[in-house]
Amino acid sequence: MSSIIQMDGVQKSYFLSNGEKIPVLRGIDLEIQENEFVVLMGESGSGKSTLLNIIGCLHSVDSGKYVLGGQDITSLRDDTSLATIRNKMMGFIFQQFHLIQKMTALKNVALPGFYNGMSVSQRESKARQILTEIGLSDRMGHKPSELSGGQQQRVSIARALLNDPEIILADEPTGALDSKTGIEVMELFTEFRKRGKTIIMVTHTPEVAKYADRIIFLKDGKVVNHNYYHVSP
Amino acid sequence: MAFDALMANKMRTLLSMLGVIIGVSTVIAVVGIGIGAQEKINEQYKNMSVESILVMGGGGGGGGGGRQTASSKLKAGDVEVVMSDSENLRSGTASYSGNTEVSFGKFSESKSVIGVQNSFFSAVNLQLSTGELFTSQQYGSRDRIVILGDTIAKDLFGAEVSSAVGQIVSVSGKKFQVIGVLAKNGVSSRLASYDDSVFVPYLTAEKSILGSKGRIMLIFLANSVSVLPTAMEEISGILREHHKLKSTAEDDFRMFDAGSMVSSAQSSAQTLTILLTAVATIVLIVSGIGIMNVMFVTVVERTKEIGILKAIGAKKGDILLQFLLEAMMLSLLGGSIGIAVGESAIPLLNKLEGWYLVYSTTGVIIAFVFSVSVGIFFGFYPALKASRLDPVDALRSE
Repeated sequence: MSSIIQMDGVQKSYFLSNGEKIPVLRGIDLEIQENEFVVLMGESGSGKSTLLNIIGCLHSVDSGKYVLGGQDITSLRDDTSLATIRNKMMGFIFQQFHLIQKMTALKNVALPGFYNGMSVSQRESKARQILTEIGLSDRMGHKPSELSGGQQQRVSIARALLNDPEIILADEPTGALDSKTGIEVMELFTEFRKRGKTIIMVTHTPEVAKYADRIIFLKDGKVVNHNYYHVSP
Repeated sequence: MAFDALMANKMRTLLSMLGVIIGVSTVIAVVGIGIGAQEKINEQYKNMSVESILVMGGGGGGGGGGRQTASSKLKAGDVEVVMSDSENLRSGTASYSGNTEVSFGKFSESKSVIGVQNSFFSAVNLQLSTGELFTSQQYGSRDRIVILGDTIAKDLFGAEVSSAVGQIVSVSGKKFQVIGVLAKNGVSSRLASYDDSVFVPYLTAEKSILGSKGRIMLIFLANSVSVLPTAMEEISGILREHHKLKSTAEDDFRMFDAGSMVSSAQSSAQTLTILLTAVATIVLIVSGIGIMNVMFVTVVERTKEIGILKAIGAKKGDILLQFLLEAMMLSLLGGSIGIAVGESAIPLLNKLEGWYLVYSTTGVIIAFVFSVSVGIFFGFYPALKASRLDPVDALRSE
């Protein structure tokens, strides 16, 4: 098993409007293996969401080194390359689902295919297939406002899978769901892991974190602890 | 709730399109007016020889109305004087015209009556439809005979104009016999439409009908277009000498050539078109600002959506294109409605007195191009702003 994500001394700061520099990540050293299910935990402000955004190429690093799938992308700044990585390698799942309200479930799920150059029929047949697997075959024509929270989250999971990415990034995916639905989502994640996906998830909930292979604790922008629950297969 | 929001957006969409609708329908009307004016001018002058030179009483050079000053010494006899001294003219004739009552049966209206000399009809390209023209003897007489223009003949005798020949009509209260009817011509001189005029021998008009109230016009045909300027100078010189004008005195006649009359009519039509185009352009610019405004609001409202699209792999260019296309669709939809409104306004405007608009594909193409470019131009900046949003910030927005 090889590492898919490697970080050495990654730093990231924000600037307030008055010019004040707020350091968020103060030197992250991290290695994540292919097909690993990792949870990022820590208090709010510990930098776990920023770290997830950097892994997902939504942010660039200020200093340090970030190697993704063997490619050094630390200095990668151009929008097209980063957008392509997000589109093909990453599947994002958010706490608030972030579905496009005016589109049906099917269109939402098919959308990443549009940016991947797939034809309408290609991407919609793929979307149909994933929605069926995930148990939403009878909800494809519904808009997000007509779906329950759990259903919406499953639609957003289906969207994250459309381009068959190597990495799934989930920012508190169960945060807006009741515990029963949360468990269903975690069972889906376990299933993806079996199919070879690498999963990186931010959560506050210990019950949810139990599904992971490893928990990485962050505090004040640094990794403080790695907890292994399972021995990686 | 969702329905209300949709209706609010529909209203906003409609309002933002309103400017484009008005602008584009103005463009359609402008092009219709421009082409209509051009067609009308061509129609009006199509039978007029370009070599013709018109001389009327009254001073002050070219342009101006047709009122004759009392001091003008211009008279029918001047034609012979000019013709005998000139080298560049192939024919000359005179007319004496004014308005008088023409009646037949219940019909009675004030019409233009034109007293004509020999060769007048050929000089202005008027053709006979039925009956006969005046004989050379009649041209010199004061006979009470009349030739009717096409329109007036139809007004008096219906579509079958040949029935007019031999009838007696009343001109200025006197009985005149109709000897001929002219074919439809379409030309109007500076004074009246030939189709809506009656023609009598020159002396009949001057002595029996109009008296001193008529307006004299001399018509000369130059040998060719190339000698027109020379011929006009020649006429001017001969007339000044004959009228015994001092070298410092102004001309007591005005002279036009058909070519410059056409071009002055064209230039006034052009001025109108330019003016209306300016108005349409301003309306389109204002409508573009409206679209820009709406697009900015849309971008702000959909910041989160932009963040989502970027997270799932949309490039800057994709976002730019999407919002640009939306702005274009907005303006294009407005443009299409504008084209429909403009086209359906044309028949209504044509019902107004003095308006003449034509349908044209040119107008539609111009309007189409205009509305798309307004969309692209004014939609670009909001779209650029949308494309530059930071994905994380955009996702966080509510």
